[in-house]
Amino acid sequence: MASQLLGLNYEEGLRKLELPTLAFRRSRGDQIEAYKIIIQNTMPPRPEVTYNWVNITSEFFHATKDLELGELLHDDIFGLFEAMSAIEMMDPKMDAGMMCNRGKKVLNFDQAVKAGALKLNNLTMEELVGIMDSMLACLVTWLEGHSAAQTILTCLYLHKPLSIEDRALRAFSIQTLKLIAIINNIVHSAGVFEEEDFQPALYGYGVCAEVTEVRAGGMMREVEEELQRAVKATRNKQGEAWDPKMQKQHEDAVALFSRIRFMRLFYAALAAIMRREPVSIPEAERCLASCTELVCIMQNTIGRGLRPKQPKDEEGNKVDYPVIMGFEPLVNQRLLPPTFPRYTRLRTRKEAMHYLEEMVTRLRHITKITHCLTFHSALEFIEHFSESRPCVLSRSLAQVLYLGGDKLWGGQGMAEALREAARGFICPPALLSKAPVMNNTQAKEYVDSFFTRCVRPFEQLIQTCGHNRARQRDKVAHLLEEYAMLQDEADKVDAFLHNVLLKSDQPRPHLAYLGTWVLYHTLRLMIKYLLTGFTLELYAVHEYHYVYWYLYEFLYVWLVSALSRADAMLLEQDGYDTNKTGKSGRSSKNRNRNKKRHRPYGKEITYNQALQHLCGGYYKAMLGLREAGKVKLPLQEFDSEQVRYEHRFLPFSVVMTPPPVHYDQFLSMTDLSNFPQPVSPATLYHDARNHFFKARTLLETIHTPNTEVQQLLKVVKTNFVVMKLLEGGHKADDPTRPQFDFTTHPCFPIIKI
Amino acid sequence: MKTGGDFRDNLVDLTGGGARPGDNTEKQSQRKSTPGRMNLEKWLHSSMKIEMTDGRTLVGSFVCTDRDNNIILGSCTEHLRPDEDGREEEPRVLGLAMIPGRHIVSICIDEASQPPQPSTSMYT
Repeated sequence: MASQLLGLNYEEGLRKLELPTLAFRRSRGDQIEAYKIIIQNTMPPRPEVTYNWVNITSEFFHATKDLELGELLHDDIFGLFEAMSAIEMMDPKMDAGMMCNRGKKVLNFDQAVKAGALKLNNLTMEELVGIMDSMLACLVTWLEGHSAAQTILTCLYLHKPLSIEDRALRAFSIQTLKLIAIINNIVHSAGVFEEEDFQPALYGYGVCAEVTEVRAGGMMREVEEELQRAVKATRNKQGEAWDPKMQKQHEDAVALFSRIRFMRLFYAALAAIMRREPVSIPEAERCLASCTELVCIMQNTIGRGLRPKQPKDEEGNKVDYPVIMGFEPLVNQRLLPPTFPRYTRLRTRKEAMHYLEEMVTRLRHITKITHCLTFHSALEFIEHFSESRPCVLSRSLAQVLYLGGDKLWGGQGMAEALREAARGFICPPALLSKAPVMNNTQAKEYVDSFFTRCVRPFEQLIQTCGHNRARQRDKVAHLLEEYAMLQDEADKVDAFLHNVLLKSDQPRPHLAYLGTWVLYHTLRLMIKYLLTGFTLELYAVHEYHYVYWYLYEFLYVWLVSALSRADAMLLEQDGYDTNKTGKSGRSSKNRNRNKKRHRPYGKEITYNQALQHLCGGYYKAMLGLREAGKVKLPLQEFDSEQVRYEHRFLPFSVVMTPPPVHYDQFLSMTDLSNFPQPVSPATLYHDARNHFFKARTLLETIHTPNTEVQQLLKVVKTNFVVMKLLEGGHKADDPTRPQFDFTTHPCFPIIKI
Repeated sequence: MKTGGDFRDNLVDLTGGGARPGDNTEKQSQRKSTPGRMNLEKWLHSSMKIEMTDGRTLVGSFVCTDRDNNIILGSCTEHLRPDEDGREEEPRVLGLAMIPGRHIVSICIDEASQPPQPSTSMYT
């Protein structure tokens, strides 16, 4: 390099070396020096704390004798309140540091090696498999939301993986650290976790930055190949008896091989998904498919690993779970926050393997989100996935895969995808290609800014579905505020486009197109909010009637009407298209397509009508049961129905369409004395029966019913019979209260009398 | 937070600062004057080192005590007994900690330290 510079002059030399000039470097150096001087002068010198301790023990004990019983000595700003927030030392429930000081010394990596308690080389196959399985069990426990310090980081080998001499264990340890890092990264970038789902803190334990990702994979592969040779060499030869020693070697090698390979492929799959490239998804799918097979082998070979000795009974220490070499449960105890110590029960190896198996299946499922080409299908996919209560890693991965950086999967921007979604949903004339209204610059601007405005709420909609089920309800309540504002905006844009379109050459109305689209999502959120109350078991039985009433009387009615409107608009648009093509040769083809596209939302409308009647059935049934005195009611003075009602529907108060229904409206609408005929429980049961019957008829018209429809059918059929029995006076005098069985469907129970 | 304030309103101040019914000023002034109290008040806000029965040492500023020698230290750190080879581990930050009197082995006060001006944030 230097020789090449010999012939060059100063300026050329600098350019070649990409260096700035000396003058610049001098000035920069001066600035840095100046900064150092200023900072040193203004910052107070760090005080070197030296104490001059004087023992006052007896003096102190003597002085406190002057205090009265129960009297606290303190200054003005410190009070009993502050005193109560102090953590109490030497209390096993509060003092996390107390654990480490009991019994045997807790050794860190270096101490353990020095003491001969940690082997770095010549580990037996039993030990290797056992350590790896324990690591996996720790990893799984971490993924279930426990602190890394109490799970995976209790493995001493992970503290200094480069000091391990055994090649298999070293590669596995490094790969595990890399895996922890990538999982942390995935969960972080998706941002759909709460403190109960995941503890991201790794307490400064590195990801082993000295070894690159590629090198780590390479190390794994080398070990893998070596083991594969061992597996082959020890294989049973045909026609010969299998030497038992050989057989054991073979089985051990298979056990170790499957673990190493699983770890490598699992990491590779995650890394491939995170790349979000069209080619990387099939690669991830291949890796995950092998992982499924490897987990099976791992499950069958758990027994080959070293197992921990049963803990001795006299050590009644709760956190002291059975450990094997390389694990020190208390090694990080002092890293935990100074709150009360939490105990972590580690998963057993069997449980861990089962968890890994299911996780791989979940990950294989979420890669299918790449087949969702429209926003609505992706939303449906994630919503549906969320119903299976997936783990935080798979939830996060689905989010990252679809929402990713600034572009959705497939390279579309969110605004663009939403524009397409709205077009697909209701086909607003302004969104058609070559729509004349787009020549109007202001109209174009309005439409563009509307979809830009949509991006955030719809992103949040997707993210909401990524959160755990319990948190989703809260998030939906917040989201409704966003959608209320969006609704307002959509109505304004619709009105403007309407005016522009009426004045154009081909006058067409443009009423409530975008509005209906936003309304559809708002209604779905509202329904979801109420229904998740059932899945989370929030409602008391005496609340069922108004929750189902709200769904039956308003939300499903509105949803059906929004869908019907979209349906009509799509058909109308088809009509326009056919007229435009006129008598050209394609008209017959078009007609065929029309027939096929007949009532695009037919199925969804029928389904929602069925649910409306189902809710109506529950509402009437609950009224009947209340009238018959079969529902336990709270005492009015302690538990006001109005307060409960208002609390249950509180998030709806921000939404303008549909308008919130207040408690007094509910009372006047459901007042039984307003009914034309006198009402008895029997007449209410009769109404309920009719509703269940209608729901059943509607559900039965759905072709190719999915599992949910089948579950609902079972529910309505049973409830129909129950209502008939009640109507006939069965058990009318029996004071036992009915049971609501949510096992068939989480939101719509089977009533049992 | 509002709830904190409400909670405090309901507490009975046992130190004599509040005007409790049946509390006479004579008793209060008599309370303040005993030499033991004066000593304790002198030590308030000084750095204090407490050794506990399990060998750990806590260092923090002395903020509160009572008749049973229960002591509360603010901005407290926990130090472990040094290793055989003299190595000491990093202290652990605890914040506000209460040490029950029965677990105290020894108490040291830092003579040189000037009690810092009390501020509201020092206890957290």
